[in-house]
Amino acid sequence: MTPIPDGGLTSLEYHVLLAITEGPRHGYAIRDAVEADSRGVLNPRAGSLYRVIARLTAAGSVVETDAPQGAEPHPGRPRRYYELTADGRATLADETARLKAATTLAADRLRVRRS
Amino acid sequence: MKLLLRLLVALHPRAFRRRFGAEVLEQARADIDRGFEVGVGPGARSTVATTLDLLGSAIAERVHPSWPDPGGTSGNDEGVGMMMRTWIRDLRRAARTLRRSPGFTAAAVLTLGLALGANAGIFSVVDAVLLRPLPYPDADRLVYIAASAPGSDFPDEFGVSAEFFDHYRSEATQLDDLSMFNAFTATFREGDRVERLRLAAPSMEFFTTLGVEPELGRLPQPGEGGQVAVLGYGTWTTWFGNDPEVVGRSVWMIDGPRTIVGVMPESFRFPQAGIAAYAPNDFDGEVTNVGRFGMNLIGRLAPGADEASLRAELTELARRLPELYGGSPAYARLIEQHVPVVRPLTDVLLGPVRTAIWVLMAAVGVVLLIACANVANLFMVRADGRGRDIAVRRALGAGRGRVMRELLAEAWVIAGLAAVMAVVLAAVGLPIYLDAVPDGVPRITDVRLSGTTLGFTALAAIGAALVCGLWPAVRGSKTDLGRLRDATRGSTRGRAWGRDALVAAQTALALVLLVASGLLLRSVQALRAIDPGYDTSGVLTFQFAPEQDHLVDGPTWAAFHLDFMDRLRALPGVERVGIVENVPLDETPRNVAFVAEGGGVADEDGVRADITFAGGDYFAAMGVDVLRGRGFTDDDARTPGSVVVSRSLAEALWPGEDPVGRRLQNVLLEDWHEVVGVVDDVVQGQLRDAPAITAYYPLIGPTPQSWALSSPGYVVRSERGTNLVPEIRALVTEVAPEAPMYRVHSVEELTARSLVQLNFTMLTLAVAAVLALVLGTVGLYGVLSYVVAQRTREIGVRMALGAEAAAVRRMVVVQGVKVVVVGILLGLVGAFVATRGLASLLYGVGAVDPVTFGAVSLVMVMVGVAASWVPARRASRVDPIRSMQAG
Repeated sequence: MTPIPDGGLTSLEYHVLLAITEGPRHGYAIRDAVEADSRGVLNPRAGSLYRVIARLTAAGSVVETDAPQGAEPHPGRPRRYYELTADGRATLADETARLKAATTLAADRLRVRRS
Repeated sequence: MKLLLRLLVALHPRAFRRRFGAEVLEQARADIDRGFEVGVGPGARSTVATTLDLLGSAIAERVHPSWPDPGGTSGNDEGVGMMMRTWIRDLRRAARTLRRSPGFTAAAVLTLGLALGANAGIFSVVDAVLLRPLPYPDADRLVYIAASAPGSDFPDEFGVSAEFFDHYRSEATQLDDLSMFNAFTATFREGDRVERLRLAAPSMEFFTTLGVEPELGRLPQPGEGGQVAVLGYGTWTTWFGNDPEVVGRSVWMIDGPRTIVGVMPESFRFPQAGIAAYAPNDFDGEVTNVGRFGMNLIGRLAPGADEASLRAELTELARRLPELYGGSPAYARLIEQHVPVVRPLTDVLLGPVRTAIWVLMAAVGVVLLIACANVANLFMVRADGRGRDIAVRRALGAGRGRVMRELLAEAWVIAGLAAVMAVVLAAVGLPIYLDAVPDGVPRITDVRLSGTTLGFTALAAIGAALVCGLWPAVRGSKTDLGRLRDATRGSTRGRAWGRDALVAAQTALALVLLVASGLLLRSVQALRAIDPGYDTSGVLTFQFAPEQDHLVDGPTWAAFHLDFMDRLRALPGVERVGIVENVPLDETPRNVAFVAEGGGVADEDGVRADITFAGGDYFAAMGVDVLRGRGFTDDDARTPGSVVVSRSLAEALWPGEDPVGRRLQNVLLEDWHEVVGVVDDVVQGQLRDAPAITAYYPLIGPTPQSWALSSPGYVVRSERGTNLVPEIRALVTEVAPEAPMYRVHSVEELTARSLVQLNFTMLTLAVAAVLALVLGTVGLYGVLSYVVAQRTREIGVRMALGAEAAAVRRMVVVQGVKVVVVGILLGLVGAFVATRGLASLLYGVGAVDPVTFGAVSLVMVMVGVAASWVPARRASRVDPIRSMQAG
C-alpha cells in the first residue's frame, strides 16, 4: 500500500500538513486551520479528518506529541497533539514545489489562450 | 444522538477505532454543537454532514485501511473479516447501481423514510409514556385500591372511605405499606402571591409507600401532619426560583399555614404532572364520617403477595367494617355488595391513554407495512427489468446465493438511507407533533428521540429491508433460462401474481385504517350532535374563592354572592348571571342518596343523585330548561328549605306525579326540602357521559350550617363573551383582593376540551389512513402501468385483430378492480377484528358499523377504478403497428 499517492498529496492531506508547520496542534485546531487556510473550501468532518491524520501518521509525515508548553488546558480527556516530522516537512516542500511548477505552467498556458 | 455517533464510530475497523475513536467522537460532537450554536438549520445540516461523513469513513476504512492493525494479520482471511468485506463490497456495488437510477432510489427511500419516520415518532411516545417503568423502586409491587359494589347504584368503581384505610392498614397481611391520597384544586399563597393550584393531601405514609426521596430538605415525619408542606419541583422553580433556602419558609395552603420541609425531584409527578404541593396529614385512626367515599388508596404488596391474594384478603376484611365502625343500614347493605378493586398502579396512571397510543402505534405500523409492500413492488419491477442480465450471470456460474445477496444489498442501502431520513424527520416533526398533543397525557413531556427510539428505528429499518428485499431477491435470483432467449417476451403471468398479492395486501391494510378513522369521525360527529341540556355558546364561566373572616356559614356566603352577582349584572352587555357549585364539563359534583317523603316507590336506600347548588338566574343563564315550577329566587337563596330537581330524579321519586310541592330528604341530613321546580337533566362530567340525575340546593344550602361555598362557579350570559374578563377581574379584585380568578372558560371551550382527546386520536389516525391510501393508490397505479407496458405487444395484437378501445380499457380496469376487491374483502375481515380495539374510544357507533364499512369499501373501489384508469387509457391508445415493431 502506498499511503501517499504518486504525483502528490490530496488537497486535504496537503492542508493538514500545512496546518502544523508552525508547531503541534490538536485535531480540532487542525480542522479550524484547514478551513481558514483554504478559505472555507475544505471543511473536513471528523471521519475524513482522522482518516487523513491516520494515513499521514502511518506514512511517517506526522507524529503524535505531548501538549506544547502553555497550551490551554482542556476539560476531560487530555488532547492529543500532532507534529510535523522531518519527512513530513520534506513531503510538504516537494508538494509545494510541484504545485508551484503546476501553477506557473497553468498561468503560462492560460495567458497564451487568452491572447 | 450521542448513541448514533457512538454506533457510527463503532463501525470503523478495530485498529482505527482504538487509536482515533475517542477523538473522532469528540470532534463529531463539537461539529454538531457548533452548528446548533448558529441555529437549528445549520445544526441539522451539520448533523447530517457529520453522520454521512462518519458512515463514509467507516466504509472507506474497512475497504482501504489507512491505519494498519498492529496485530499483523489484517483479518482478511478470517471468516468474519471476509464476510464483512464481501458485504461491504456488495453494499458499495449496490450504492453505485442505485445512483444510476435516481428515480427509483428516491421513490423507495422517500416511501420507506416517511413510514419509518412516523414509526420512530410514535414509538418515542410509546416508549416514554407506556414502556418506561414508573420512577419508584419496585414499581410493579405498587397497587391502587378502590371499591366497587356490583348490583348497587354506585358507580362501577369508587374511592374508599377513611374506615377502609384504617382497617386495611392495621389488618392486611398482604400489604407492606398503605397510604391514602386525594387531589383537588385549592388556594396556595406565599407572601402577596395567591393562586388556585392542584394540591394533594396525602396521608403521612404516602412518600414512603412510593419509596421516593426529596430533592431538597427531608420527608415529613409522623406527628407533623397539618403543619408541614412538600413542594413539587415545578412550584419550587416557578414560585421560588429554585432557591435552596426555601426549606423552613411558610406557605398558606388549603386551610392554613404550613412550613416547607422538602422539595420533590423533577421526575416525581404523582398522580399527574400538575400537583403543585403536598400537604401531608396524620391519620389518627378516628373515623368521624363512616361511608364518606372518594379516597384513593395506594399500597405496596408484601413479599409473596399478589393482586388476587390481596383482593381475597380485603374482601374478608371489609365485611367486618359495619360491625367495627357502625354506619347506617344502607352502608351495611352496601358493604355486603362490596368487592374491593385492586389494580397495578401503572394501570391507573397510564390506563386512560394506553388504548389511544397503542391504536396510533398500530396505525403507523400498518403504514410501514404498506410502504414495504410498495417498495417490494418497485424491487420486483426492477428485478424483472434486469431478468436477462441476471439470467446471463447465473448461466455463467454465479451462485444463487450470491445473486440474492447482491439484490438484497440494494434493499439494505435503501433501508439505511430511509432510516437516516426517518431520524431527521422524527427530530424535526416530533416537537411539532407534541405541541398538538392535548393536555393530560402523563409523562408526555419526557418524550424525546432516545437511544431506545434510535434502536427501534434501526430494527424497523432492518425488518423493512428484509420484508421488501427478500421476496424480490428470492424470485429475481431464480434460474429462468427462458429469459436468455427473449427478455421482453417472457411471461408476465406468474410474476404478476406476486405483485397482485402485494396490491391486495396494501388495499386491505389501507381499508383497516380508513375504517378505524371513519369510526372515530362518526364518534366525534355523534358527540358534537349531543344536546347536553344547556347552551354551548355565549356563556362565560369563572371561579374565585374568597377567604374572608366574616364568611362563616350559608347565610353569610349567600349574602356575599348575591351582592357580587348584582355587581356583575351591572356590567355593560351582561344579560344573565348565575352561580353553580360545579360548572358542567369542568367539575364533577358529589353523589348522595335521596328519599321521598311518605316512602314513595323508591326503596329505603333512596335514589342516588349528584348534589350541587345554584343561584341567581343559573338555569336561564346556562340555558337549562325549567320543565315545571320555577327556578330559584333571591328569597330562596336566603332561606333554606327549597330544592330544584332534575327530570330523572323527579321521575324516580314520584313517577307519573307532579313533584312540585312534594318533599324529599338527603339521607345524610335530617331536614326535608320542598321541590319548587323541575329542570332538564344535563351532561355534567364529559360529553360522552349520560345526562346526570341532579338535585340543586339554593345558595344558602340545605341547612344554614352545612355549606361552605368556598369556590363556586359563576355563569355569565353575554354577547361580549371573553371580552368581559378584564372588567370581571377588576370587580373580583375589588370585592376579594385575596382571591384569584381562575378556571375562566367559555362553555364552547369546555365542550372543545371534552372532545380534544378523541379529536387528536382521530386526526393522527386520519393522517395515517390518508398516507396509507395514497401509498396504496400509488402502488396499484404502478403495478397496472407496468403490466400495461409489459403487455403492449399483446394489446397491440388484440387491437390489430379488431378489439375496441373501450374493451381494452375495460380489460385493464377490471384487472385492477379485481385485485382491489380481493383486498377489500381481506380488509373487511381485518377491520372486523381490529376495530374491537377501538371500542373504548367510540361513541354512538358500533365497532362493526355497516355504514362506515360500506362507505369505506366504496371509496376503495372508486380509488381502484381511478388508479386503473390512466394505465387503461394508455393501453387503449396503443398503436398496433408500433407495438409490434417495438417487440
